[in-house]
Amino acid sequence: MKNSLRVLRAERGWSQADLAEKLGVSRQSVNAIETGRFDPSLPLAFKLAKLFELSIESIFEE
Amino acid sequence: MSFCNKNLTPLQRRTMQLMGGVMLLTVVTNLSTPSLANPLVDVFPWLSRLTTQGGHASALVVGTLSAFAVLPVLLAVWVAGRYLKAEPDEFVRTLVVRALLWGFAVTMAGNAVAGVFMNVYLRPFPLTVLNADLFFVATGIAFRLIQWSYR
Repeated sequence: MKNSLRVLRAERGWSQADLAEKLGVSRQSVNAIETGRFDPSLPLAFKLAKLFELSIESIFEE
Repeated sequence: MSFCNKNLTPLQRRTMQLMGGVMLLTVVTNLSTPSLANPLVDVFPWLSRLTTQGGHASALVVGTLSAFAVLPVLLAVWVAGRYLKAEPDEFVRTLVVRALLWGFAVTMAGNAVAGVFMNVYLRPFPLTVLNADLFFVATGIAFRLIQWSYR
């Protein structure tokens, strides 16, 4: 799945490690999601949406 | 993420310690198998009488040895299940599950090959007693390779 995670993260000046810490996952998880190699589960997608104060659909697209 | 000691979470560290104990138990159960050439049988020749090959083993001894051999397998699955239940990072869970699947695949393939050899040559093939070792090595290598593919 395509996503705008990298852009959203960069806008806030967060590193992958920073975002990983906020989400409670590993940096490699964040990297895998950003590169589209791994799709997050619904709970993690909701966490991301809440963190960025956006809807899931505006972060992820098919 | 790399699974070296400084990057492990407390859960991962504890799991690796437990799995290390299980692997040690695997070595011990291997050493207790007199059909394999091992130092224990050289030092204590009476050990070879514990199996039906060397003598007349009682059902209790055979049952105990069998139960002892099954322990590492059950404990390994328990430790892995405990870890997967507690690990909050779903991506890491996915990597671990994939590695475990590869471990099972390699072990079952090894057993299939051993089965063919046993049928063709009509004698026991010692590989089956090394099932747990094969599983641990295959899973470890698989995990490293899968991790590397996501570098």
